[in-house]
Amino acid sequence: MKVKIIKWHAVGVWTWDAGEDTCGICRMAFDGCCPDCKFAGDDCPLIWGACNHAFHLHCILKWVNSQSPQPHCPMCRREWQFRA
Amino acid sequence: MAGSSQQKALSRIAANRLQKELTEWQLHPPTGFNRKPTDDLQRWIIALDGVPDTIYAGEHFELQVEFPEHYPMEAPQVIFTKPPLHPHIYSNGHICLDILYEAWSPALTVSSICISLLSMLSSNTVKERPPDNDRYVRNCKNGRNPKDTKWWFHDDKV
Repeated sequence: MKVKIIKWHAVGVWTWDAGEDTCGICRMAFDGCCPDCKFAGDDCPLIWGACNHAFHLHCILKWVNSQSPQPHCPMCRREWQFRA
Repeated sequence: MAGSSQQKALSRIAANRLQKELTEWQLHPPTGFNRKPTDDLQRWIIALDGVPDTIYAGEHFELQVEFPEHYPMEAPQVIFTKPPLHPHIYSNGHICLDILYEAWSPALTVSSICISLLSMLSSNTVKERPPDNDRYVRNCKNGRNPKDTKWWFHDDKV
Protein backbone atom coordinates (compact mmCIF):
# COMPACT_ATOMS: atom_id res chain seq x y z
CA MET A 1 0.00 0.00 0.00
CA LYS A 2 1.26 3.40 -0.90
CA VAL A 3 0.51 6.23 1.46
CA LYS A 4 0.72 9.78 0.34
CA ILE A 5 1.04 12.33 3.11
CA ILE A 6 -0.82 15.44 2.23
CA LYS A 7 -0.48 17.36 5.41
CA TRP A 8 1.16 16.85 8.78
CA HIS A 9 1.09 18.66 12.03
CA ALA A 10 4.12 18.56 14.32
CA VAL A 11 3.99 19.28 18.02
CA GLY A 12 7.19 20.09 19.89
CA VAL A 13 7.84 20.31 23.63
CA TRP A 14 10.73 21.93 25.41
CA THR A 15 12.09 21.79 28.91
CA TRP A 16 15.03 23.22 30.76
CA ASP A 17 17.65 20.64 31.65
CA ALA A 18 18.21 21.86 35.20
CA GLY A 19 18.05 18.71 37.30
CA GLU A 20 15.46 20.35 39.55
CA ASP A 21 11.85 21.23 38.75
CA THR A 22 11.46 24.48 40.61
CA CYS A 23 13.49 27.59 41.26
CA GLY A 24 14.75 27.54 44.88
CA ILE A 25 14.12 31.28 45.21
CA CYS A 26 10.59 31.87 43.88
CA ARG A 27 9.46 28.19 44.04
CA MET A 28 7.91 28.53 40.59
CA ALA A 29 8.47 25.79 38.01
CA PHE A 30 11.56 26.19 35.85
CA ASP A 31 9.40 25.41 32.84
CA GLY A 32 7.24 28.33 33.86
CA CYS A 33 8.57 31.80 34.51
CA CYS A 34 9.52 33.86 37.53
CA PRO A 35 6.75 35.90 39.22
CA ASP A 36 7.84 39.03 37.36
CA CYS A 37 7.38 37.55 33.89
CA LYS A 38 4.49 36.47 31.73
CA PHE A 39 6.26 34.14 29.30
CA ALA A 40 8.62 31.24 29.97
CA GLY A 41 11.60 30.36 27.83
CA ASP A 42 13.85 33.00 26.30
CA ASP A 43 11.99 35.82 28.06
CA CYS A 44 12.72 34.34 31.49
CA PRO A 45 15.87 32.24 31.14
CA LEU A 46 17.62 30.04 33.67
CA ILE A 47 21.16 30.70 34.74
CA TRP A 48 23.68 28.39 36.37
CA GLY A 49 26.22 29.15 39.04
CA ALA A 50 29.77 27.78 39.12
CA CYS A 51 28.39 25.42 41.79
CA ASN A 52 25.90 24.08 39.18
CA HIS A 53 22.80 25.34 40.96
CA ALA A 54 20.23 26.84 38.60
CA PHE A 55 17.77 29.69 39.17
CA HIS A 56 15.61 31.98 37.11
CA LEU A 57 18.01 34.70 36.00
CA HIS A 58 15.65 37.38 37.34
CA CYS A 59 15.46 35.70 40.76
CA ILE A 60 19.19 35.19 41.31
CA LEU A 61 19.93 38.74 40.12
CA LYS A 62 17.62 40.15 42.81
CA TRP A 63 19.43 38.09 45.44
CA VAL A 64 22.96 38.79 44.20
CA ASN A 65 22.28 42.52 43.93
CA SER A 66 20.99 42.64 47.51
CA GLN A 67 24.12 40.97 48.93
CA SER A 68 27.35 42.79 49.50
CA PRO A 69 30.23 42.43 49.33
CA GLN A 70 30.09 38.76 48.41
CA PRO A 71 26.86 36.99 47.46
CA HIS A 72 26.49 33.29 48.18
CA CYS A 73 24.54 30.58 46.38
CA PRO A 74 21.13 30.26 48.09
CA MET A 75 21.36 26.47 47.88
CA CYS A 76 24.94 25.61 48.91
CA ARG A 77 26.27 28.91 50.33
CA ARG A 78 29.35 28.81 48.15
CA GLU A 79 30.48 32.14 46.77
CA TRP A 80 28.18 32.89 43.87
CA GLN A 81 29.84 33.01 40.45
CA PHE A 82 27.99 32.76 37.17
CA ARG A 83 29.04 29.61 35.32
CA ALA A 84 31.17 30.53 32.37
CA MET B 1 6.94 43.84 69.65
CA ALA B 2 7.81 45.09 66.19
CA GLY B 3 4.25 45.80 65.13
CA SER B 4 2.81 44.41 61.95
CA SER B 5 1.00 47.75 61.66
CA GLN B 6 4.21 49.57 60.75
CA GLN B 7 5.24 46.86 58.29
CA LYS B 8 4.87 47.36 54.56
CA ALA B 9 2.51 45.06 52.71
CA LEU B 10 3.95 42.06 50.92
CA SER B 11 5.17 42.62 47.39
CA ARG B 12 3.47 40.58 44.69
CA ILE B 13 6.51 38.27 44.52
CA ALA B 14 6.49 37.77 48.28
CA ALA B 15 2.75 37.06 48.37
CA ASN B 16 3.10 34.62 45.51
CA ARG B 17 5.90 32.71 47.16
CA LEU B 18 4.17 32.67 50.59
CA GLN B 19 0.98 31.34 49.05
CA LYS B 20 3.04 28.46 47.67
CA GLU B 21 4.62 27.85 51.07
CA LEU B 22 1.21 27.87 52.70
CA THR B 23 -0.17 25.32 50.23
CA GLU B 24 2.88 23.13 50.76
CA TRP B 25 2.54 23.53 54.55
CA GLN B 26 -1.11 22.46 54.42
CA LEU B 27 -0.16 19.33 52.49
CA HIS B 28 2.98 18.49 54.47
CA PRO B 29 3.29 20.44 57.73
CA PRO B 30 6.57 19.86 59.59
CA THR B 31 6.01 17.27 62.33
CA GLY B 32 5.05 18.81 65.67
CA PHE B 33 4.11 22.22 64.21
CA ASN B 34 0.60 23.56 63.85
CA ARG B 35 -0.15 26.84 62.08
CA LYS B 36 -3.10 28.66 63.55
CA PRO B 37 -5.57 29.30 60.76
CA THR B 38 -5.80 33.03 59.95
CA ASP B 39 -6.38 35.10 56.86
CA ASP B 40 -3.15 36.99 57.47
CA LEU B 41 -0.56 35.68 55.05
CA GLN B 42 2.04 38.13 56.38
CA ARG B 43 1.96 36.97 59.99
CA TRP B 44 1.91 33.30 60.90
CA ILE B 45 1.30 32.01 64.42
CA ILE B 46 2.63 28.50 64.83
CA ALA B 47 2.17 26.18 67.80
CA LEU B 48 4.93 23.73 68.55
CA ASP B 49 4.92 20.64 70.77
CA GLY B 50 8.01 19.57 72.68
CA VAL B 51 9.34 16.35 71.15
CA PRO B 52 8.78 13.15 73.19
CA ASP B 53 11.98 11.81 74.78
CA THR B 54 13.58 15.27 74.87
CA ILE B 55 13.72 17.64 77.84
CA TYR B 56 10.78 19.55 76.31
CA ALA B 57 8.41 16.56 76.11
CA GLY B 58 4.84 17.55 76.96
CA GLU B 59 5.52 21.32 76.73
CA HIS B 60 3.86 23.68 74.26
CA PHE B 61 5.42 26.69 72.62
CA GLU B 62 4.32 29.30 70.13
CA LEU B 63 6.14 31.09 67.33
CA GLN B 64 5.33 34.24 65.42
CA VAL B 65 6.70 34.64 61.90
CA GLU B 66 6.34 38.02 60.21
CA PHE B 67 7.31 38.49 56.58
CA PRO B 68 8.89 41.64 55.16
CA GLU B 69 7.80 43.32 51.94
CA HIS B 70 10.64 41.72 49.99
CA TYR B 71 10.53 38.19 51.35
CA PRO B 72 12.36 35.91 50.51
CA MET B 73 15.18 38.31 49.60
CA GLU B 74 14.98 39.38 53.25
CA ALA B 75 14.59 37.03 56.23
CA PRO B 76 11.31 36.85 58.10
CA GLN B 77 11.21 38.04 61.70
CA VAL B 78 10.88 34.94 63.88
CA ILE B 79 10.23 35.15 67.62
CA PHE B 80 8.77 32.85 70.24
CA THR B 81 5.57 34.27 71.72
CA LYS B 82 5.66 31.37 74.21
CA PRO B 83 9.39 30.68 74.53
CA PRO B 84 11.06 27.49 75.78
CA LEU B 85 13.86 27.67 78.34
CA HIS B 86 16.91 27.33 76.11
CA PRO B 87 20.44 28.84 76.21
CA HIS B 88 19.86 30.48 72.80
CA ILE B 89 16.35 31.76 73.38
CA TYR B 90 15.81 34.97 75.35
CA SER B 91 12.87 35.39 77.70
CA ASN B 92 11.38 38.00 75.33
CA GLY B 93 11.26 35.32 72.62
CA HIS B 94 14.23 36.49 70.57
CA ILE B 95 16.21 33.59 69.08
CA CYS B 96 19.96 33.46 68.54
CA LEU B 97 20.10 31.42 65.32
CA ASP B 98 22.26 32.50 62.39
CA ILE B 99 19.88 31.48 59.58
CA LEU B 100 17.38 34.05 60.86
CA TYR B 101 19.88 36.84 60.35
CA GLU B 102 23.13 37.01 58.38
CA ALA B 103 23.04 33.37 57.22
CA TRP B 104 19.54 33.76 55.75
CA SER B 105 19.10 32.33 52.26
CA PRO B 106 16.08 32.81 49.98
CA ALA B 107 16.04 29.04 49.51
CA LEU B 108 15.00 28.63 53.16
CA THR B 109 11.29 28.38 54.01
CA VAL B 110 9.07 28.61 57.08
CA SER B 111 9.20 24.80 57.15
CA SER B 112 12.97 24.63 57.05
CA ILE B 113 13.20 27.28 59.80
CA CYS B 114 10.83 25.19 61.94
CA ILE B 115 12.97 22.10 61.42
CA SER B 116 16.09 24.03 62.45
CA LEU B 117 14.35 25.28 65.59
CA LEU B 118 13.16 21.80 66.44
CA SER B 119 16.66 20.42 66.09
CA MET B 120 18.00 23.29 68.23
CA LEU B 121 15.51 22.33 70.95
CA SER B 122 15.93 18.58 70.65
CA SER B 123 19.71 18.64 70.96
CA ASN B 124 19.62 20.75 74.12
CA THR B 125 20.30 19.10 77.48
CA VAL B 126 20.01 21.98 80.00
CA LYS B 127 17.01 24.22 80.48
CA GLU B 128 18.53 27.64 81.04
CA ARG B 129 18.36 31.14 79.66
CA PRO B 130 21.28 32.73 77.79
CA PRO B 131 23.85 34.08 80.30
CA ASP B 132 23.17 37.69 79.18
CA ASN B 133 19.39 37.30 79.18
CA ASP B 134 18.51 40.09 81.63
CA ARG B 135 20.76 42.68 80.03
CA TYR B 136 19.60 41.84 76.51
CA VAL B 137 15.91 41.86 77.37
CA ARG B 138 16.31 45.19 79.19
CA ASN B 139 17.90 46.67 76.07
CA CYS B 140 14.98 45.47 73.97
CA LYS B 141 12.36 47.19 76.09
CA ASN B 142 11.31 49.62 73.38
CA GLY B 143 10.22 46.85 71.08
CA ARG B 144 13.42 46.14 69.22
CA ASN B 145 13.25 43.87 66.18
CA PRO B 146 15.67 40.94 66.71
CA LYS B 147 16.84 41.47 63.12
CA ASP B 148 18.37 44.77 64.35
CA THR B 149 20.44 42.99 67.01
CA LYS B 150 24.12 42.43 66.32
CA TRP B 151 24.26 38.72 67.10
CA TRP B 152 27.28 36.68 68.06
CA PHE B 153 27.03 33.04 67.00
CA HIS B 154 29.59 31.43 69.21
CA ASP B 155 28.10 28.13 70.28
CA ASP B 156 27.32 25.44 67.72
CA LYS B 157 26.65 22.62 70.18
CA VAL B 158 22.91 23.21 70.60
